[in-house]
Amino acid sequence: MATSEPRVVGKSLPRMDGAGKVTGTAVYAADFALPGMLVGKVFRSTEPHARIVRLDTARARALPGVRAVMTAADVPDVRYGGALKDETVFARGRVRYVGQPVAAVAATTREAAEAALAAIEVVYAPLPAVLDLDAALAPGAPLIHEEWASYTAIPILHRDGNVCNRARIVVGDVERGFEEADRIFEHRFRTGMVHQGYTEPRAAVAAWDSSGQVTVWSNTQLPFEVQNTLAEILQMAPSKIRVVVPGIGGGFGGKLRVGVEHFAAFLARATGRPVKVITTSEEELTAAYPRQGTVVELKTGVTKDGRITAKAGRIWFDTGAFAGSGPGVASVATLVLAGPYKIPNLHLEGFAVYTNKTNCGSFRAPSGPQANFAVESQIDIIADALGLDPLELRLKNIVREGDEGPTGQVLNAVGLEECLRKAAAAIAWNDRRPARWRGKGLACGWWTTTGGSSGVYVKINPDGTVALNTGAAEIGTAALTGAAQVLAEELGVDLADINVVSADTFSTPFDFGAQGSRTAFAVGNACRAAVDDLKRRVFALAAAQLGVEPEACRLADKHVLADGKRISLADLARLSQQTGGGLIAQGTFIAPPTAYDSKRVDGHVYPAFHSPSFHAHAVDLSIDPETGDVTIHKYVVAQDVGFAMNPTYIEGQIEGGVAQGLGQALSEEIVYENGRVLNPNLTDYKMPTTLDMPRVETILVQHPSLVGPYGAKGVGEPPNIEPPAAVANAVASATALRLTSLPITAEHIALALRDAGT
Amino acid sequence: MSKLALTLTINGERHEILTEPHRTLLDVLRTDLGLTGTKENCLEAECGVCTVLLDGAAVNACILLAAQCQGRSVLTIEGLARDGELHPLQRAFIDHGAVQCGYCIPGMILSAQAYLDEHPSPTEDDVRAALAGNLCRCTGYQKIAEAVLAVARDRAAGR
Repeated sequence: MATSEPRVVGKSLPRMDGAGKVTGTAVYAADFALPGMLVGKVFRSTEPHARIVRLDTARARALPGVRAVMTAADVPDVRYGGALKDETVFARGRVRYVGQPVAAVAATTREAAEAALAAIEVVYAPLPAVLDLDAALAPGAPLIHEEWASYTAIPILHRDGNVCNRARIVVGDVERGFEEADRIFEHRFRTGMVHQGYTEPRAAVAAWDSSGQVTVWSNTQLPFEVQNTLAEILQMAPSKIRVVVPGIGGGFGGKLRVGVEHFAAFLARATGRPVKVITTSEEELTAAYPRQGTVVELKTGVTKDGRITAKAGRIWFDTGAFAGSGPGVASVATLVLAGPYKIPNLHLEGFAVYTNKTNCGSFRAPSGPQANFAVESQIDIIADALGLDPLELRLKNIVREGDEGPTGQVLNAVGLEECLRKAAAAIAWNDRRPARWRGKGLACGWWTTTGGSSGVYVKINPDGTVALNTGAAEIGTAALTGAAQVLAEELGVDLADINVVSADTFSTPFDFGAQGSRTAFAVGNACRAAVDDLKRRVFALAAAQLGVEPEACRLADKHVLADGKRISLADLARLSQQTGGGLIAQGTFIAPPTAYDSKRVDGHVYPAFHSPSFHAHAVDLSIDPETGDVTIHKYVVAQDVGFAMNPTYIEGQIEGGVAQGLGQALSEEIVYENGRVLNPNLTDYKMPTTLDMPRVETILVQHPSLVGPYGAKGVGEPPNIEPPAAVANAVASATALRLTSLPITAEHIALALRDAGT
Repeated sequence: MSKLALTLTINGERHEILTEPHRTLLDVLRTDLGLTGTKENCLEAECGVCTVLLDGAAVNACILLAAQCQGRSVLTIEGLARDGELHPLQRAFIDHGAVQCGYCIPGMILSAQAYLDEHPSPTEDDVRAALAGNLCRCTGYQKIAEAVLAVARDRAAGR
């Protein structure tokens, strides 16, 4: 690590890909085109649960311009998925949600493809549908997957019928903990299903070459995972499948898994032409990978003076007709249910539950907002009941440096108290109800920096510029700008000297992917490792040229300096090209495992938070008592980011995360009725606009992590976690009404006020 | 289907286009002309990523028929920078950190351009109202509003 004052890291430098994005020259997957390319479209189920009695594609095949129509009969009979392999490319004999793929077509134009969809004939025999969590968990409930026990799954999972995982944390003796309590609080919360809302639809172009190799240009966040999943689905070696990410118009976890890539690949093989598949808004809102709706039950015991003695909690995720990310999300949720609190006795369970709805996935801090909404709402309820200030109750129970996390991990770099105090001060917490119908709310939490490995290649070019070759995709966070800042700092060059090549499974090194707040953290560390490797080569070469010892060499100002002599990196790169194939290095990183007590967990795929971050949000809002409309006057986030690699883009992450969080808090929900989505369009699925968003004040707290580059922690997901709880607490403060269901729409507030007779 | 012969001025250049009457300006821009800086998403004028300027006014190209643009002038994001120099709005969006994934940005910049041409000294609330038809899911809009206001201030100061 550099010993002198940083030149590049910690600076608000402009992102490296900005010019292409503001001029329209940046190519996204949705823009990507090849000569002769066909349009692919997916024919989807209109029934929540039914047998397919008849499926006839003959009329569709005969239409002009139609080049292929495919159904389950045309693809390998494979079940794929993450922790649990339960999904098929097309429905086989039975559909399990409205929107499930039944067939796909390729045609010369969009109009011809749409005509083909309209000409496919299908007859369904409806089956009893399981439309919500209560129905799925009821004794004798119809099984969504009668053959569930035969599916391949990682052995950790605890499955039973419609429950595709039950994860558990047990600490101490929760019953004894409740006996020690003076008061016990029991509450039930509900959250709605929400969509990531990326502005670029999921898109893929596939093309096969004469050697039997397929290339897929996709806006996936995880090109290597998609490569491997395609290998399973296509029954081919991964080495024959190249996945390239041209550019991504937002992901937020919704573009982790295979979405449309497999349809493009199958249709391209069947037609011998490149095929592009791009989703419509209706497909996004009925058949993507949204955030699961949940029900949460919490039972918390506290002493009179506000010390939490025990917590029992259960959270059920409505994961839809296939497991998707459900088993993992149910695991992560238990760590969020514990909260950033010291509680000696815990019994926490997360359940991923099948229903006849779309397959849910991962959305920025999966499980975070739902579980945190329950935990932090209840903290305020308890504070009110005990006559304590909610800030004081939190400060009495939060984790601090050296404390244990719920599964026994030792916590370090814990900036939570600082976050809480700074957020409270910034919102003027001492004046919590400044006017009638106006109130303030606070919420805090913790989150992980996802591990996984990253590799980079770094090359010094003969003009002195540097190529950074990474398997990670830039999804918009500027995480690769952050990683390049680390590389520039360590190499003694400027950010402008670095060019990035990314996310091509054939030519870039492996990366675990743009997920889990990990990209700048892990790729940045891989860059540091690459510089260590480069230094050995560069210093050996320089030492020979300068007549000095390699140990005397150091990097600065685009040169190697030693004993008052210097030689430029450009000269060394030219020299190396003449003598040794150029200056190339590799760097790899994997986050060290976080130690935890394995006896405390069961059915758990994510038992500890790596290099955890801590955060507090505060909001000041008013309610219109007539309409229930919420006006936010001020929103504050204090987030412990460890080290602020690029403050501008960290603020951007926080402002954007709050926007998505406020959407979930106040206006967004995919609404199902009888198994059908009522609002599958952007008119009725209400994401925040410029007029809905308040200004967000960001306070960066920096308690350096032990592992991250320069002490950085994951930044991207956390700001999405606390907004629903902070808003619910502020609404309660403003109205004296506790709303326990998300979203807290104006309508819900107005109805609650009417019911309360206020 | 019979085709229409249309003449459109796009980014200052005259284009003769032969196309079916049902096709949208967005489709013609992206598919026929390869101008993919104008983005595609909801196709029902809700998200604003397809915003272009039609005779200087911001419109959603996804619900505008190409035939409605006969004889008219279209400005897309590709036509905003002049002589290799970024337009001040483009520069400001980069400098203020207003760009994340960037997919909404071409439409956002063109909406801002149309608005500033008519309203030289807006408040932040004015700017937000002007951009309310352009969804952004990454930024929370704060830095976008700051970038547009900075350009307005610079213009007012004659910079």
